[in-house]
Amino acid sequence: MTEYQQGNSLWSDARRRLMKNRAAVASLVFLSLMVLACFVLPLFPCIANPNATDLGNIAAGCSWQHLFGTDQLGRDLLARVLYGGRISLLVGVVATVVSFAIGLAYGLVSGYAGGRVDAFMMRAVDVLFALPFIVLVIVFSLSIEEPSKELTAWVVETTGWSRESVAPILGLTPLFVAIGALGWLTLARIVRTQTMEIKAQEYVLAARSLGLGHARILFRHIAPNLLGTVVVYTTLAVPGIMLTESTLSFIGLGVRAPNSSWGTLIKEGADRMEVSPELLLFPALFFCLTLLALNFLGDGLRDAIDPKSAKD
Amino acid sequence: MTRMLLKRFGQGILVIVVLQTITFFLVRQLPGNPFLGERKLPQHIMDQLNNLYGLDQSAWVQYLNYWKGIILHGDFGPSLIREGVQVSDIIAQAFPVSLWLGVLGMLIAVLAGIPAGMLAAYWRNRWPDALIMLLAMAGICIPAFVIAPVLGITLGMHIPGLSVAGWDDALCAVLPALTLGLVNAAYIARLTRGGMAEVLSADFIRTARAKGAGAARILFVHALRSGLLPAVSYLGPAFAALITGSFVVESCFQVPGMGLHFVNATTDRDYFLIQGLVLCYGVLIVAANLAVDIALVALNPRLRSNP
Repeated sequence: MTEYQQGNSLWSDARRRLMKNRAAVASLVFLSLMVLACFVLPLFPCIANPNATDLGNIAAGCSWQHLFGTDQLGRDLLARVLYGGRISLLVGVVATVVSFAIGLAYGLVSGYAGGRVDAFMMRAVDVLFALPFIVLVIVFSLSIEEPSKELTAWVVETTGWSRESVAPILGLTPLFVAIGALGWLTLARIVRTQTMEIKAQEYVLAARSLGLGHARILFRHIAPNLLGTVVVYTTLAVPGIMLTESTLSFIGLGVRAPNSSWGTLIKEGADRMEVSPELLLFPALFFCLTLLALNFLGDGLRDAIDPKSAKD
Repeated sequence: MTRMLLKRFGQGILVIVVLQTITFFLVRQLPGNPFLGERKLPQHIMDQLNNLYGLDQSAWVQYLNYWKGIILHGDFGPSLIREGVQVSDIIAQAFPVSLWLGVLGMLIAVLAGIPAGMLAAYWRNRWPDALIMLLAMAGICIPAFVIAPVLGITLGMHIPGLSVAGWDDALCAVLPALTLGLVNAAYIARLTRGGMAEVLSADFIRTARAKGAGAARILFVHALRSGLLPAVSYLGPAFAALITGSFVVESCFQVPGMGLHFVNATTDRDYFLIQGLVLCYGVLIVAANLAVDIALVALNPRLRSNP
């Protein structure tokens, strides 16, 4: 009797290696819990309204009624941290998706085209790399504020949704676009190098000699083989982007009231640190642990998908 | 080698010009203008102000005038917010502060980061490595704006003489420099470990070990030179960013450096000041990258034969 053994695909191999990495698995569990806590938990009535003021308990410490205490306006800190996490995670993910799309497309085209087109596109990346990132993000996000207000008005008009429900999310558009539009440079470089490597392989030549068009070769034959690297890099980019968002919010140029993100909460906490340290402690703890988990998960994914680059 | 440097220099000039152009047109795109104060100015006064600073001309004329001023007269224009103050005066005042802070911070970062990275690489995959890398990861994940207030409340409040805000005496630099140093030390430690670990598993290190070289000799004489390459590439741009001021650290400790001006100039729409600061940043980052290129060639002889 013949024994059949199930073949191992790249992805099942990668999953097996990832599951062996305790730090990465713990990070994955932690991140899932964090996402649940920020997006699902506030739907239940046990979490207070983050903007409601409890005038009987102003700047109170931790208690059963307010687990994390309240701020100087009597707002429940737990609710504020969870709602702030929503914004921080949202900006992190959406801006990453924006920069992922731009970087992937740019790198693919540059690497596949080669020659002068490639040289020109890469010099443009070099120039953008030398620009002061934070300054550009600030200026860029301020200058697209007007169009984003028009976008909000347009959405309200065409969909008939209430202004209050769409404005908080759409108000973040300048931030999504600015951080995403300037954060794709490293990814574009990585994708370009990989595309050039893959382009030189025989199966691409075979595809071309079969008469396939450029678009089909790029997206059916080259892009899927880049996926591993791109996924790894994108995971590692999320913490950086979240850090940019919170830095902007901290200096007052990112997320604005009535929204708050972990960055603005940390700012408020830092201002009142001597009186009530927990206002700084809880947002900072949530923020740092999330970044830590994202980094460990990214490292774990890198080791799992691309064992060659793993630490020796 | 000289050709490569010349080419890099030319590219650097190009970067600065493009940077100035982008900034110039972007800041004028911003909603609002520099003269929006507490009270709304009457239109005719607004017109006079615009005329005085040449802001009523077309963007291209303004753009050419700006370059003409810089190239012919070394004039960066006036501040639009602080009357009678030149942009060059503001930079001349703020730059030494940020420079001093940046040098101190970098010193702390290098002195802490490189030895830590070397130790981690030497004992790789054992507990000192795990401990150092965990600390470095924490340093990367705890942002400067959390470290700053925490340092302020722990060290600043309890050590007499240390001040948590302002810029009056020498001790004021301690906490901001420490914050800058810790954040950068984490990156440097990780890069040094990566670079050293790779070198330490190379064949020539095994040969050196087989010939009886001690740990110190292997680390410092054989491995350090090429093991430092990744950290050196990081140091250049990081140093340029540090000496042009860190927004966060300077605003946390109320240090009157370049970073604080960057943020204020942008929110105030002080066009000429933004451009002057960005120009300053661009020149420094290009210079830093050039310095890194030279340092890399000095550290890695292989780059010399193959320009």
